[in-house]
Amino acid sequence: MSVFWSSFGGGFVGTIVMTTMLRGAAEFGLTRMDLPFLLGTAVTDNRRKAKAVGYVFHFLIGIAFALAYGAFFASIGRSSWWLGALIAVAQTFFTATVLVNVLLPVVHPRMGTPETAANEIALIEPPGFLMLNYGRNTFLITLLAHVAYGAIVGWAVRV
Amino acid sequence: MRIDRYARIEDYALVGDGRTAALVARDGSVDWLCLPNFDSPSVFAAMLDAERGGAFELRPIGPFESRQRYLRATNVLETTFTTPTGTMRVVDALTLPTPALPPMRELVRRIDVPSGFVRVRWRVAPRFDYGRASARWERRQRMLVASWGGEAVALSAWNAGEAVLSGGDAAGEVELHAGERALLAMSAAYAEPLVDSPRRDVERRLAYTVRFWRRWTAERGYDGPWRDAVLRSALVLKQLIFSPSGASVAAPTTSLPEWIGGARNWDYRFCWIRDSNFLIDALLQLGCYDEAHSLFWWFMHATALTEPTLHVLYRLDGGPGIAECELPLEGYRGSRPVRVGNSAVDQLQLDIYGGLFETAWLYSEGHHSLDRDTGAVLARVADRVCGIWRCPDSGIWEVRNGPFHFTHSKAMCWAALDRAVRLAERGELPDRHIDRWRREAAAIVDFIETRCWSDALRSYTRVAGSHDVDASLLMLPTIRFPNPQRLADTVDAVNRLLRAGDFVYRYHADDGVPGGEGCFVNCSFWLVSALARTGRVADATSLMDRLVARANSVGLYSEEIDPAAGAFLGNFPQALVHLALIEAAVAVKARS
Repeated sequence: MSVFWSSFGGGFVGTIVMTTMLRGAAEFGLTRMDLPFLLGTAVTDNRRKAKAVGYVFHFLIGIAFALAYGAFFASIGRSSWWLGALIAVAQTFFTATVLVNVLLPVVHPRMGTPETAANEIALIEPPGFLMLNYGRNTFLITLLAHVAYGAIVGWAVRV
Repeated sequence: MRIDRYARIEDYALVGDGRTAALVARDGSVDWLCLPNFDSPSVFAAMLDAERGGAFELRPIGPFESRQRYLRATNVLETTFTTPTGTMRVVDALTLPTPALPPMRELVRRIDVPSGFVRVRWRVAPRFDYGRASARWERRQRMLVASWGGEAVALSAWNAGEAVLSGGDAAGEVELHAGERALLAMSAAYAEPLVDSPRRDVERRLAYTVRFWRRWTAERGYDGPWRDAVLRSALVLKQLIFSPSGASVAAPTTSLPEWIGGARNWDYRFCWIRDSNFLIDALLQLGCYDEAHSLFWWFMHATALTEPTLHVLYRLDGGPGIAECELPLEGYRGSRPVRVGNSAVDQLQLDIYGGLFETAWLYSEGHHSLDRDTGAVLARVADRVCGIWRCPDSGIWEVRNGPFHFTHSKAMCWAALDRAVRLAERGELPDRHIDRWRREAAAIVDFIETRCWSDALRSYTRVAGSHDVDASLLMLPTIRFPNPQRLADTVDAVNRLLRAGDFVYRYHADDGVPGGEGCFVNCSFWLVSALARTGRVADATSLMDRLVARANSVGLYSEEIDPAAGAFLGNFPQALVHLALIEAAVAVKARS
C-alpha cells in the first residue's frame, strides 16, 4: 500500500476514533468541547446544520493531517505508532495554546475573543488557554483523543 | 459627602464596556474596577477598603459641589464640579475598541473647564489582586506604568500637569482655564504588551463610544410609560453582559453590605440561571434579539457539563467551580467579611428549573426554534424535575438554614413542566414523556393548593405548612399559576404583611444568616407587576411612579434600600432590580 493510501486510511479510522472519544467525553459531562460544532458554526448559526457541516470539516482536516503525517514519515524513512502519538502530543499542545485558543476566535465570525466588547455580540465563548473555558478536563481529553489518532495514523502508514 | 471615608452607594455611577465596569463616585473618585474582566481581581477597590483598596481620584482642589449625569442615551458619565472660581466637567468612559489598535481595556477621563478656572488634583493608586499587591510606578517613554505579575496599567496624561511618582501612587496638579481641556487615559493589559495610544486615538475612541451607545439606545423598541427609566435600565443591563461569552453578571461588585456593619456580603459577579430567564424576556421586549440569542446559546453551552442537573450560578466563562473565600479588606464602612466566590453554587434551588424552561419558552416564542439537541437536553431536564420537585431546597433567596419546601420553588417546578408540555406539543421537545410531565405538573398544583395555602392568612405561604408569606410569591402571577383568586389574595397578603412604605421585605423569617437587611428593591417592582397582573392597575401605576423616583441621580438601583433612611444597600447596580423595573413597566403598559 502506498504512503498516500495508508495515510488516508489511517486518517479516516483515526478521525473516527478521535471524534468518538471527544463526543463520548462530552456526553459523559467531562467537557463542553465540540470540535465539529465549533467548526460548523463558522459557516452557519443553525445549530443542527452546524454540527453536520462541522463533522465533514473535521473529517477533511483529520485526513489532511494524516497525509501530512505520512509525508513526514516518508521524509524520515520510518513510521511507528509511538512516533505518530508523539507528533500528536506536539500537535495538541499547538492546537490548545495557539490554534484554537488564539487563531480560531480571530477568524471565527461567531466566537468571542477576550477583546470582544459591548459593540459586538458573540454567540460562542472563546475556548481560553488550553481550552479550559470548556471544562477543566478538556485539555486532557483532547490530548488523549489526539494521541489515539496519532498512534493509529503512525501504525497505519507504510513507508 | 463621604462617611468614614466611604461615599454613599447611591452616590456612584457605573461606566462599562461589556467586559468590566468601574464605579465613579460623585466626588470624582473611581473606587471600583476589576481588570481585565468583571470577575477578575480588582485594581481599584476603595469601596471595600478606603486605605488599601486603591482608587483613581480626580477632583478640584478646595471646596466644590458636584452632580452626575449620563451623556444623553449613553453609558458615558459626566460629572460637573462647581467651585468658587469656575466650573469643571469630567467625562468618564470605559471606551469601546475602534480599528486603530486599541488597548485591551481603557478608562478615559476627559476634563473640560467651560467657565472661570479650576485647580485640579488627580491621583492614581492601583492596588492589584484586591489590594493584596501594590505596584510601583515607572516612567516608560510617554507612559507611566505599574505592573504586577501578568497585569499592567499605563497612564497617559495630556495637559494634566507633571506627574509625581511616590511609591504606588502617581499624582498631578494643574490649573485649567476656561476653554482648556486635559485628558487622562489609563490603559490595561493582561498577559500581553501595553498599547501606547496617541491622544488623537484616545479622543476618537471616546467619541465612538458615545456614538455607539446612542445608536444602540435608538434601536431599542420600548415606547411606553417610564420610558427614560426603562431605557436607562436597558443600558445598565447591556453593560452587565459579558460580551466575550454573552453571560450576564448579577452585579459588577462584591460584598457591598445588605446592612452597614453586617455580614450579609456576597459576590455577585457571576451569572445566575434565574436572572437569565428575566434577562431574555427583557431583551426580547426591548428588541435586543441578538443579545437574547447570544445569552441563550451561552446558557445551553454553560449547562452542558452539568445537565440535567443545573447549578444555581455559573462563572462568566461557563465553568461551575466558584469557591468562596474571604479577603483581608476592611469592608464597606467596616462591613466584614469581604467575600469573593459564592458558595450558593452548591445549593439545591428548584426554582432555577422553572427559569430554564421559561427562558426556553420565551426564546421559542421569540421566533427562534429550538434545535434537536437542545430539545433533547430540555426533555432530560424535565424528567429530572419530575424526580426532584418533592425535595426540600434552599429557595430563591438561598437561605442557609434550610432546606425547606418553598412554595415558590414548587410553583417554578410546575412552570418547568407546564412549559415542557407546551414545547413538546409544538414539536420543540421529544414528547415521549409528556404524559408523565402532565401528571407531575398536576401533582405539584395539588401539593401547593393543599399544603401551601393558609385560610388564616388568605394567602399562599412561604413554605409548606408555615404561617407567613414571602415576596417571591409575587412571581406566581407572572408565571401564570392557575388559581387567579388565590393569586390576588396572596398579592394582597404580601402587600399587607411585608410592605414598608414603598418597599417590600423578602420575608420576616429566620434564614440562618446573622444580621439585618434592607428591603430588596426588586420585590417592590414585583409588587407593581403583580398588582397590574391581578387587575389593580391604578395602584400599580402609582407605586411605580414613586419607585422610579427613588433611583439615584443617574437612574441606578442597588440590590436593597433602607426603607427608613432611604440609603442604598447591597451590590450595585443590580441587574435583577433593573430587570424587574422593565418587567413591571411592561406589565402595567400591557394592562393600561
